[in-house]
Amino acid sequence: MEKLLEILEDIQPDADYETCTTLIDDGILDSFAILSIVAELEDTFGVQVTPAEIIPENFNSAQALWNMVQKLQAEK
Amino acid sequence: MAFNSMGFLLFTVLAVVGYYLIPGRFQWMWLLVFSYLYYASHGAGLLGYLLFSTVTTYVAGRCLERIKEKKYQKAIVIITLILNFGMLGILKYLNFIILNVNRILRGHLSYLELVLPIGISFYTFQSMGYLLDVYWKKTKAEKNLFRFALFLSFFPQILQGPIGRHSRLACQLYERRRWEWKRAEEGVQRILWGFFKKLVLADTAAPFVDALFDQYQTYSGLAVFAVLAYSIQLYGDFSGGMDIVIGVGKLFGVTLDENFQRPYFARSITDFWHRWHITLGTWMKDYVFYPVSLSRWMNRFGKWSKKIFGRSTGRTLPICLANLIVFLVVGVWHGAAWKYIIYGMYNGFIIAFSGLMAPNYRKWKKICHIQEKSAGWQVFQILRTFLLVNISWFFDRADTVSQAFSMMKNSVTQWSPGKIQEIPIGQGGTTDYTIYALAILALGVMVLFIFSFFEEKGINLFSRLMKAPVLLRGAVYLGILLCLPIFSQYPALTGGFIYAQF
Repeated sequence: MEKLLEILEDIQPDADYETCTTLIDDGILDSFAILSIVAELEDTFGVQVTPAEIIPENFNSAQALWNMVQKLQAEK
Repeated sequence: MAFNSMGFLLFTVLAVVGYYLIPGRFQWMWLLVFSYLYYASHGAGLLGYLLFSTVTTYVAGRCLERIKEKKYQKAIVIITLILNFGMLGILKYLNFIILNVNRILRGHLSYLELVLPIGISFYTFQSMGYLLDVYWKKTKAEKNLFRFALFLSFFPQILQGPIGRHSRLACQLYERRRWEWKRAEEGVQRILWGFFKKLVLADTAAPFVDALFDQYQTYSGLAVFAVLAYSIQLYGDFSGGMDIVIGVGKLFGVTLDENFQRPYFARSITDFWHRWHITLGTWMKDYVFYPVSLSRWMNRFGKWSKKIFGRSTGRTLPICLANLIVFLVVGVWHGAAWKYIIYGMYNGFIIAFSGLMAPNYRKWKKICHIQEKSAGWQVFQILRTFLLVNISWFFDRADTVSQAFSMMKNSVTQWSPGKIQEIPIGQGGTTDYTIYALAILALGVMVLFIFSFFEEKGINLFSRLMKAPVLLRGAVYLGILLCLPIFSQYPALTGGFIYAQF
């Protein structure tokens, strides 16, 4: 999770990732940021993210992102 | 039967009255019948294209749920995409391809007499979005062919969108409903607002735009006014049409997706595309941008670019490339002409460049102590974006690329605002009404600005009006109804909606 928070801070620094649960709904992460995060997740955690996973529920908070990473790792 | 015709109003009233009189279980069938009658009113022959899209997508959706093997599912999706986009491509772009092949190879291939079915882009995009959603398990396949036919043909939206998503729209269409005064009033408000934008803004600006673009050499000193008038016309026309569509949808209790959110208040081109033709933008994002960005070959390109350009730029470059592909498609979607391709690529390049430069912008803003939320910075961003958008409108409206460049040059080298009074926009090509029309246009823009400004601040004046006494509300609506024909009578030309031809 710490690694994930580092990635998020690096890509979009102006957000409180510990508490925010509306990263997509409030427009904090735009499509460029989403894809940058995906690229880093694929490199760092060795997961493969498909278009089916790109839904607000998976990107609205750091916790949701972490859950998605764990789910994809389990499916490998 | 355009939205601004008496025929459409009578048709809508009949559809609404019948909808609430018949038993609830028949309501969606009633909507289906009226939707097909409406589409057939533009030419019974066009129904064939709609039926083709409906049946092929429905069958594909059903197959996707029954067949579990991934490779067969993929084959079904690819075949259905080719069939539907192939039909759209042939009807819309074949003659453009023939024209360019003839030019390059000095050939004499003859053009085909193809009729572009009205609204085909919109229902094709809606149906293919549904197909991909079923494939990605974002929605369930519709089991009833007739219900699916209604999802693709709901009459208020079939001609110019908004492009609906199955997960949000379909269930609303099949619900049983009772008449609600509040909902109906909200619908009527939206319709009246739409008519204001269309009749007072778009149709008053239209004859100025036509004269200034068609005779751009005669009115070379009015190029700035030409593009500003076009920005008013296009917004009034398209967003006004959307207000009417959404208002009519509300009369049936259906909440359609919003397509506009005060786009001229956008603070960047990216922001502009989040506010202008929103459902096309989100469609492109979900079904082109993400799949292209996450494709294997883009992944390989990403790895290569990271090695060459470093981590930050390297991971952004594939996204920029996917973004350019998206805006190439957006340009092509707008029409079969090079000017639209340039229009798309212009937007694509600005957004890609901004994405690439984002980390630098953050640093520079810190160094220059720029406060993101300060009013001055926001006004600067809005004006800068408005300027960039207007540059793109030259390509959108001019007949050719060279005309667009010529008018752009005129806008900074020539200036003769006095000539505006000489534009003949009255009946029979007179200048009798030119000044009146200009005054009405200015007044209309002020009204639009005030409403939009408050909405931007989170204050919806229409919602406030809903809390006023019935008599006052009635008087306001009656006043608007009486004013609309008075304020919209000056231009000699009033016409259909621009986006209905897509």
